[in-house]
Amino acid sequence: MTLLKSAYQDLEDIVGPDYISDDPSIQDSYAFQWLAELVRPEQSHYMPRPVAVIMPASTEEVQAITMVCNKYHMKIKPISTGWYHWAGPIKDEDDTLQVDLRRMNRILEIDEKNMFAIVEPYVICAQLQAEVMKRGLNINIIGAGASTSIVASACAYAGMGPSTYWMGHNSDNVLGMEWVTPSGEIIRTGSLGSGDGWFCSEGPGPSIRGICRGFLGSRGGLGVYTKCAIKLSHWPGPKEFNVRGTLPAYRLPIHENFRVYTLAVPSWDAWADIYYKIYDNEIGYIFHRQFTLAGADLGPALWLILNDHTKTLNDIEEMVKRSDIKELTEELRISFQIILAGRSLRDIELQDKILDQVLAETGGWKVKRFCEDDMAEFTNVYLQRLGHKHLNFVWVGGYLGSWMQPGTPDFVKKYVPIAIKGLYRDAAGGLLVQCGGDALMGCGSTVAGGGWSGLEQFVSYDPADRESIKAGTKHMEDAITDAISNGIPPGKEAIYLSLGYKDEKIWDTLANSQQPIIFHFQRKIKEAFDPNDIGDRNYPTLPEDY
Amino acid sequence: MEKKKEHLDRIVGAEYVFDDPQTLEAYAKDLSFVLPIKPQFVVKPKDIDEIKMLTKWANEKGTPLIPISSGPPHFYGDTVPGAPGCIIVDLSRMNKILRIDRRNRIIIIEPGVTYSQIQPELVKYGLRVTMPLLPRGNKSVIASLLERQPTLISRYNYSLPEPLRNCGVVWGCGDISYTGHAGNGSYSLDEQWNAGHIPIDPRGPNATDFMRLLTGAQGSLGIVVWASVKCEVLPSIRKLFFISANKFEDLMDFSYRLQRLRLGDELLLANNKLLATMLGNSDQVRDLKEKLPPWVMIIGISGRALLPDEKIDVQEKDLTDLVQQYGLNLQSEIVGISNKEMIDTILNPSTEPYWKLKYKGGCEDIFFLTTLEKVPHYIQIMNETANSLNYPVSDIGIYIQPQHQGVSNHCEFNLPFNPNDLKELTKIKELYSKVSEELIKHGAYFSRPYGMWANLVYNRDAQSTMVLRKIKKIFDPNYIMNPGKLCFKSL
Repeated sequence: MTLLKSAYQDLEDIVGPDYISDDPSIQDSYAFQWLAELVRPEQSHYMPRPVAVIMPASTEEVQAITMVCNKYHMKIKPISTGWYHWAGPIKDEDDTLQVDLRRMNRILEIDEKNMFAIVEPYVICAQLQAEVMKRGLNINIIGAGASTSIVASACAYAGMGPSTYWMGHNSDNVLGMEWVTPSGEIIRTGSLGSGDGWFCSEGPGPSIRGICRGFLGSRGGLGVYTKCAIKLSHWPGPKEFNVRGTLPAYRLPIHENFRVYTLAVPSWDAWADIYYKIYDNEIGYIFHRQFTLAGADLGPALWLILNDHTKTLNDIEEMVKRSDIKELTEELRISFQIILAGRSLRDIELQDKILDQVLAETGGWKVKRFCEDDMAEFTNVYLQRLGHKHLNFVWVGGYLGSWMQPGTPDFVKKYVPIAIKGLYRDAAGGLLVQCGGDALMGCGSTVAGGGWSGLEQFVSYDPADRESIKAGTKHMEDAITDAISNGIPPGKEAIYLSLGYKDEKIWDTLANSQQPIIFHFQRKIKEAFDPNDIGDRNYPTLPEDY
Repeated sequence: MEKKKEHLDRIVGAEYVFDDPQTLEAYAKDLSFVLPIKPQFVVKPKDIDEIKMLTKWANEKGTPLIPISSGPPHFYGDTVPGAPGCIIVDLSRMNKILRIDRRNRIIIIEPGVTYSQIQPELVKYGLRVTMPLLPRGNKSVIASLLERQPTLISRYNYSLPEPLRNCGVVWGCGDISYTGHAGNGSYSLDEQWNAGHIPIDPRGPNATDFMRLLTGAQGSLGIVVWASVKCEVLPSIRKLFFISANKFEDLMDFSYRLQRLRLGDELLLANNKLLATMLGNSDQVRDLKEKLPPWVMIIGISGRALLPDEKIDVQEKDLTDLVQQYGLNLQSEIVGISNKEMIDTILNPSTEPYWKLKYKGGCEDIFFLTTLEKVPHYIQIMNETANSLNYPVSDIGIYIQPQHQGVSNHCEFNLPFNPNDLKELTKIKELYSKVSEELIKHGAYFSRPYGMWANLVYNRDAQSTMVLRKIKKIFDPNYIMNPGKLCFKSL
């Protein structure tokens, strides 16, 4: 896996010597990817090493790099902020050039009136949010947090977060896109292609974005997205976050146009009911099941510890024995967070009143301790900014997500008990964190306007302990078995695990899917836009003879 | 010819194959300026199996198919054969509502289901579908959504294809697949439903957004055989408000503000000519126009689900406060027409004759997408061009419909004419052509390029043309689906 001197020279000629490297220490810093240990031989923390890393500064440089990859038959793998092990090279046998887009980090324009911003791939959510809030606007920050690339979530992967319910999924929010295809063409979608500006993602005629921005996006497997315009939403709060408190318990005072609640319900049936009622009544600005990610048994104590500077994680064992904490833990067992925002004081008061009625109809309640000032303000900054992603790793430094099958609340509630039982069973051996079988978190709705949810089980494992890693991998395999045996399709874990599979095993799975024609269509799309096969298998296809 | 008919008879049944001159003539043209071409046959299949057989046969024979699901009159040339020897696939027999789900607010329909059919059924479930402005009663809901016709409630328009969600498709190549979440499951919708898989999420399946490829395609990639559509909760109480202005510019900032706040439901802007045509009988249009202010913004507010009266009250008060900030005047009625009468007129399908034809019997529409602040410039271009050709500017209806929560706006000019007056017909053709060119030259985005617009649009966008032709080769390699449309001129 070395780069030909001539190829290196061709690439260096594009970006200059300062922005390309094949130094092994640099290469390995890109191969070192979270979750790699779950799928790599010997629980290695490294995905395959890229042959070199290159940092372009413009679309034209990305295009030129793409042409070199075609010339030398190298895989091209873009990374902006990265999240999960598929951000790095995937197959050992491939020569993969990692294209790091961090130099393309400019907010090119904020069109306040027409509510969109044009950004490059290394502009992160926190950066843009801070700028647009000054103008009374906001962005949908995806679940992976404020430090993620907007271009990535809009053009290439996922796109949902706590605010999707009101602000839209980033696949809906993306307007004009600039896309360097694997064959080196620069495609500009929608109104941008016609030279009419960035404001529209559809047409002319059929929407070209359809070939590259589906449910998951192409995850770096079908070219590089070099710019996009993203739709913004109204922000009825202050122009700047007046954050107070002590790390990690930052607190954001609650503006008069907002309400911040942790709500709980007595049963999973009631959970589904209250979600439907929230959708129907169109209340809420941010709607998420967040704090359960730390586990239903230990989570409540953890969040209180984080908000008490006199305590550390070492206090957790004693904390959970306290009767008040035990009571709180039970009260919070089936809970979620909602932030209401009003365009006026009378609007927020009405939303509050509607919420009370919804709670009365479903037997739900506001969790008093978590609605007190300290916890409400902590919740406010946590969910408005989503800057606490380090807390995903709080227990022992590693976590994986299982389940998360998307569907209606009525569908999701069917797999919740199975997921809970499965985590208790798999954690019983002591190799996974025993934080409580419901460590399920997820968006109030992953489709704008409501109707569609999905809960991800946060399974914490110790990435420094091989046995714990193996237990994590086994949990994912068990989750697949649990799902299938209950007539439910596999969840997120199946995608994680597939990174470690041989091509043939993936093809078998795709060929046995309900509509394998989808992957034949994707093969034809790949043949049309990537004739030399320089994109990796993150863009899934089926060979013609399968 | 006879052999062809035999094949078609076998596929859809002889009583659903038509080749009589009168039927063929009816499908040979529409009200656009697209050159009429007679189809060879009109067939009316009843289900997906028949469509699949038709597609297979058409691929073998190289016979073009043109799917049509709405009733006449058609306006934009997209259903007029673009080549000789075409077969019209009229989907009007596929008019079943397959399922209505109140809890998930989803309706699954076949392509022949129309707006006048769907709304009364949804009311029974406490639901409704957000509509375009006064659609024809026989307008197919699926066709309207696939063509990305603007809908009246912009705040529900999270993306332009909304509320379209999932589709079942027979592609031009003959393969069948489902779009969105339904593409992950089996081909039996009942089986999917029973397993709890409701076709709500429009994305995918997998890395492709197949539904978005079908939108704006004018039936040139495949035939949609069913679709799921997201519904809104039926309001139990609603009101309309009006704001008058002498100039469009006077309403612009306020429109921006309303969009940003997502205050209210329906929001549209119309000039007096358009509004008069919507509200009056053919002989009243002129008088009504004179009575109306030059521009009117129409704002609908609704109370639905819990506390509907309080919802209305809060919206009305917020609206009143806001209007005052902008120095405008909120009116609950206009030219003496009651609020209820306005609601009944504007929020339902058009009565017969279709409203745009009432004034002179013919009407050409020019429409495109733009950001709101550019609209005055486009109105100026329209008026100057009309003046230069002695077309009466006072006859031009103008309709502005915010979309995608205000990020884009549908801007439409209605140009009425007397189709029996050759002189007027010639003039309108020239105006239509000239103003379309001018608007495109000045950045108006013709996202739905019908008829002559296709060349103007794709000639400026070589990359999109190249990509679309690649897509066409994947999904319709033999170019059997509605040839001659968009940039798909020939194999």
